[in-house]
Amino acid sequence: MEEGRDPHVRLGRVAATASAAAECEVLVIGGGSTGVGVARDAAMRGFSTILVERGDLATGTTGRFHGLLHSGGRYAVKDPQAARECIGENIILRRIAADCIEDTGGLFVTTPIDDPQYADRFIAGCQDTGVPAEEIPVAEALRREPRLNPRITRAFVVPDATADAWKTVWTCARSATEYGARILPYHEVVAVTKDGDQVTGILARRPDGEQVQIRAQVTVNAAGAWAGRIAALAGCQVNISPGKGIMMATNHRLVQTVVNRCEMPADGDILVPIRTVSVIGTTDIRTEDPDHWEITRAEIDQMLESGENLVPGFTAARMLRVWGGVRPLFQDHAPADTRDVTRAHAVLDHRKRDGVAAFLTITGGKFCTFRLMAQDVVDTVCTVLGTTRASRTADEPLPDSQERRFYTLGSRLAERERTLTDEQLICECELVRRGRLEDEMSRRPAPSLDDLRRALRLGMGPCQGGFCMYRAAGILHQLKHLSAAEADQALVAFLEERWKGVYPLLHGDQLREAWLDDWIFQGVLDVEHLPRAAPALPREAGPRETATGRAT
Amino acid sequence: MNDQLSAPAVDVIVLGAGMAGLVAAVRLAEAGLRVTTVAKGYGSLRLSPATIDILGYRPDPVDSPAQALPDFAAAHPEHPYARISPATLAEAVQWLKEHVGTYAYVGDPDTNMLLPTALGVPRPSAVVPETMAAGDLRSAGPLVIAGIGVLKDFHPALVAENLEAATAARGRAVKARPVLLNPPANGQADVGAMALARRFEDAAFRRAVAAELRAAVAGEEAIGLPAVLGLDQARSVWTELQQATGRPVFEIPTPVPPSVPGMRLARALQDRLRRAGGRFVLGAEAAGPELRHSELVGVRIRAAARVTPRTCRWVVLATGGLSAGGIEVDVSGTASERALGLPVHAPGPGEAGFLPGYLSDHPMETAGLRVDSSLRPVGPDGEPVYENVYAAGAVIGGARPWREKSGDGISLSTGYLAAEAILKEAG
Amino acid sequence: MTAEHEFGIIRDSLDHCVKCTICESACPVAAVTPLFPGPKYVGPQAERFRGAGPSVDASLDYCSSCGICTLACPQGVHVAEINSQARAVMKNQKGMPLRDQIISRTPVQGRLGTPVAPLANFALSNRFARLMIEKVVGVHRDAAVPKFAGHTFQRWARRHAAPAAAGTKQVVYFHGCSTNYFEPGLGRMTVAVLEHNGFRVVVPPQGCCGLPLQSNGIFDAARGYVRQLVSHLVPYARQGDVIVATSTSCGLMLKREAIEILGVQDEDLRTVSTQTYDICEFLADLHAAGELKTDFRPVPLTVTYHAPCQQQGHNMGKPALDLLDLIPELKVIELDRACCGIAGTYGLKREKYDIAMQVGSGLFDDIRAAQPDQAVCDSETCRWQISHGTGRTSVHPVEVLYRAYGLG
Repeated sequence: MEEGRDPHVRLGRVAATASAAAECEVLVIGGGSTGVGVARDAAMRGFSTILVERGDLATGTTGRFHGLLHSGGRYAVKDPQAARECIGENIILRRIAADCIEDTGGLFVTTPIDDPQYADRFIAGCQDTGVPAEEIPVAEALRREPRLNPRITRAFVVPDATADAWKTVWTCARSATEYGARILPYHEVVAVTKDGDQVTGILARRPDGEQVQIRAQVTVNAAGAWAGRIAALAGCQVNISPGKGIMMATNHRLVQTVVNRCEMPADGDILVPIRTVSVIGTTDIRTEDPDHWEITRAEIDQMLESGENLVPGFTAARMLRVWGGVRPLFQDHAPADTRDVTRAHAVLDHRKRDGVAAFLTITGGKFCTFRLMAQDVVDTVCTVLGTTRASRTADEPLPDSQERRFYTLGSRLAERERTLTDEQLICECELVRRGRLEDEMSRRPAPSLDDLRRALRLGMGPCQGGFCMYRAAGILHQLKHLSAAEADQALVAFLEERWKGVYPLLHGDQLREAWLDDWIFQGVLDVEHLPRAAPALPREAGPRETATGRAT
Repeated sequence: MNDQLSAPAVDVIVLGAGMAGLVAAVRLAEAGLRVTTVAKGYGSLRLSPATIDILGYRPDPVDSPAQALPDFAAAHPEHPYARISPATLAEAVQWLKEHVGTYAYVGDPDTNMLLPTALGVPRPSAVVPETMAAGDLRSAGPLVIAGIGVLKDFHPALVAENLEAATAARGRAVKARPVLLNPPANGQADVGAMALARRFEDAAFRRAVAAELRAAVAGEEAIGLPAVLGLDQARSVWTELQQATGRPVFEIPTPVPPSVPGMRLARALQDRLRRAGGRFVLGAEAAGPELRHSELVGVRIRAAARVTPRTCRWVVLATGGLSAGGIEVDVSGTASERALGLPVHAPGPGEAGFLPGYLSDHPMETAGLRVDSSLRPVGPDGEPVYENVYAAGAVIGGARPWREKSGDGISLSTGYLAAEAILKEAG
Repeated sequence: MTAEHEFGIIRDSLDHCVKCTICESACPVAAVTPLFPGPKYVGPQAERFRGAGPSVDASLDYCSSCGICTLACPQGVHVAEINSQARAVMKNQKGMPLRDQIISRTPVQGRLGTPVAPLANFALSNRFARLMIEKVVGVHRDAAVPKFAGHTFQRWARRHAAPAAAGTKQVVYFHGCSTNYFEPGLGRMTVAVLEHNGFRVVVPPQGCCGLPLQSNGIFDAARGYVRQLVSHLVPYARQGDVIVATSTSCGLMLKREAIEILGVQDEDLRTVSTQTYDICEFLADLHAAGELKTDFRPVPLTVTYHAPCQQQGHNMGKPALDLLDLIPELKVIELDRACCGIAGTYGLKREKYDIAMQVGSGLFDDIRAAQPDQAVCDSETCRWQISHGTGRTSVHPVEVLYRAYGLG
């Protein structure tokens, strides 16, 4: 289903604001892929459901990785359990979420720095875990991907794919809403309320600063890298060790297939073609605080080198931006009790672990197993609530995926062909039509330009918002009846946010672009001297969205 | 094939066709020198609102650039303005006014007008196209800001509201309100500034716009429109709209390139160059100096199929700064000057070129060539690298043009001065 | 899933695009029709959406490949070349219309038409025949098509003996298909001008440079043509001989486009390329070296000069102007319009003819206003289009020099 031909727009808003105290059966904390997956599954099973997320949906780990939908090949040797889950869910997601997925396929290649022996272990591991892998001649791999390192010695084809994380999350959220769930981004959990040793819900801070109470029969902690903090609010212990990794996006796709190093999982071993860019990732550095960390020059150089190993000339390619994400690594301090050894993720029932009832944590896992994770924790919710309701998420397609047609790279280009003279193109780099932008603005109470960026890829192309953000700010001003001061602030906030991901790596073509953008915003529009009449919007509350990067 | 020649093929090779390069080339060609302009593409003048911003912020606001300049230059000895005397500036401005032709530039270096941007911010600018002058917020009365539906690059509501707040904050509130015009657009929903400018050169279209404006205005309002009032016929389009509405009409530069006023100025200057007998080689690029016994006798020019040395007596280097690619920074953070390989003053690899805050004073912002008082690029020893090379425009470092609001003023005055220096030598 | 694009400097040059839209503001086609979204759009912007899956943007085909976008780009994006490559991918996927196969094979037309020139020319000027041709083949009934000369330039060249006064300096003449089949007179004049300047002119057997095939997206055949042409020219290039071309389009093909657009990475082609000169470029360089004969008679005429897009693509300025300036009493009006509209075979096509005529209308108006005795222009298809659009005679700069030298 093409984007924009959205039959669900008439249902109105997906995201909402809690107006007063609210009640539900299932409360989900965390709006990443796991959280919205839980909300959808619970709502589909007929539970009244509310989801709260302190920022925009998918601004935790989900929105910050490269978009790879694993075939499982990466784990075939190191973690067979994970590999089995990946391939299982890969097949299911292709069935139910085709519109969010591009069937790029994947290659595992033995590069000059890889252990040549690993390839045999790789193919054996794939056979054992059910990951389809087929060896092809190196010449064939190079024909398919002309930019690949010509010195590779072996190549295998696997069914890797890529998924648009934001699209997946928002489509799940939309589906959840259709089943009656309420999705509340920009609602930060301030406290977990209890009655004795039973969790009764939360106190959340709304975007306008007011606090609102949400009561729930069961509360599910799906807060990812922040799950430990949420658990602590409930008096429970969940040891999350945040692992930071950085990624970089090139201006255009250097490869059309996912390229993996045929080696034990290592830093910078994947180059992913996702939408209009390719992303190299990632590093793995322990950090204390999932909200405050750095992007270092050493990591940037490491990723450049990794890219160069896969695609010679990578270092000379134009880089759009660098960003980081934090993986939630769960370290179970009480393994025997609750961890299901057949699973790579864990559902923690805190009644058993910490003596706190009506509180569950879902942790571990990866993006590609989010549906399974959601299914497992909602199964446990059923047990807690004393009812038996089966999940249908493995079979029921997400909205727009009913026809099981994969997303294709050219889809927005094809769509624009049909509207060349009918509609204004707001973001030219990523081909975002005005109607699409206005629909998205209508779906949320008070979207920031960054929210719109994530949902639509507005400003994610080469100009990084230079050309489209003035246009978008003007449309936002009109459509949402903002004051000019609010629209100005939205624009300036976007510029500052964008700069964070751009300046650590600014050189060459992207530097020229940044200078042209500065000309537009500073020289011609003079944003520096905008009148500042209104106070700061509550929009600024929420997670730090990118690192305090520094060239060190 | 031609390098046995002792006499140079031309007198001056001008590298770059932005404001600085075109000003220098026209001045030299009109003085009778043989000039060839070599440009790897059209210059960034076509992206610029083409208001001559001389100095707007120090960072405190500047009311009179001419008065502020001497102190500013003294405080910033490496700034290009430190090489420009008030007399040169005045001459350069006068020269430009005489050379545009298609319409007039008004104003002078003594006073900054305050013109609204497409975000409604009052922006200081000293010398502007006549089509913009009625927007001077220092003296403007009530305004109606008219957007055009098919033009997505101009939001009148934002302009009007910000304009009111900004002028009130400065002590003289100007009332402004938005209207949206919907003149016939041939069924097109998405019309860019250039296409709209061409439409305005059609009489029937103008009449339709004027009719809508007449119905929309009230009281004593002056009319602000996006800067799309014609391309080469801007003067007559603007005059006619004023007559048809009986009001002052002023243009507001659209933020997203290309810029119609920039196009007008670029075309006017290129036309002057052609009529003065100057040659224009488009799509070719300098590939280093042509040296003989370490003296520069020409420039190696990369064209289709070959790099050929072209001999000359002088070179004007006006290839632009970081946005045009005249100064480049590679992945290691090393800055270089692209055309002739001259030494660049900039943060080195390992030094932070950029700071975390978006509106910080980024060290890399001032990257560029250092020049002597005649605008000849100098090396680390302060001596000219070549006796016969002059730099003009953004390739010279030391300025923060967007934040100072000084870009076009620097380009105009240094282009003018470079030509003057060469003319002095030519005798 | 497979990327069908030519990998190399062309596609990667899209990284230089800062979206400044200068190319779009310079594009003569986007200025007259909304069917073409503009070079920035179909070039570096859309290219980011290509390479995985079928071609989806038919509007790309309205690009005329005039190349002005690449010239105007200040950042070095090979805009027109990106478009050309994307168009070739698209046409290979969607199938090549018969018309495009026919009109892009000039040697075939030439070989078929030359022996029956009077008949062929009659058919091409007969309204009814042109209506049928438009219906069946898709060439617009009014499009400017040349006349077959009835004999080839090659035949004349084979019989031409170099004058006794010819020096030892040798120059090779790449005349191109149009001179061979349609304007052998131009070829004769070129040889005369060169011989007047003391050169021995070699006219080797040659062939088509493949440009019409390339601009219609038929890349494999184009490569075949150009490789064959190069094989004839390279022996001379290797020994340092200059190769002059009188068609600025065909000359550009050898100088640059065959390498950049077709991706021909041939040593031989590079050798030929570095030795290829446009005839005016060559003569102007001679003059700069003090070696051009300047015994011109006064020519009290007014001429306009239009530099074709693909002349500008040589990035050498306008050497024709420098040459015409040497002719006493000749008044030269340099025109400043981007494109005449024909863009090779673009303006011949039924669905593009009107666009082409609109593109050229400004130029036609300027020429008519100047009322010149002749309209001077270096490209044959442009000359035919100019004559068609203005009713004026259009000649190559060499012809003006030829007459000024008193050679004819």
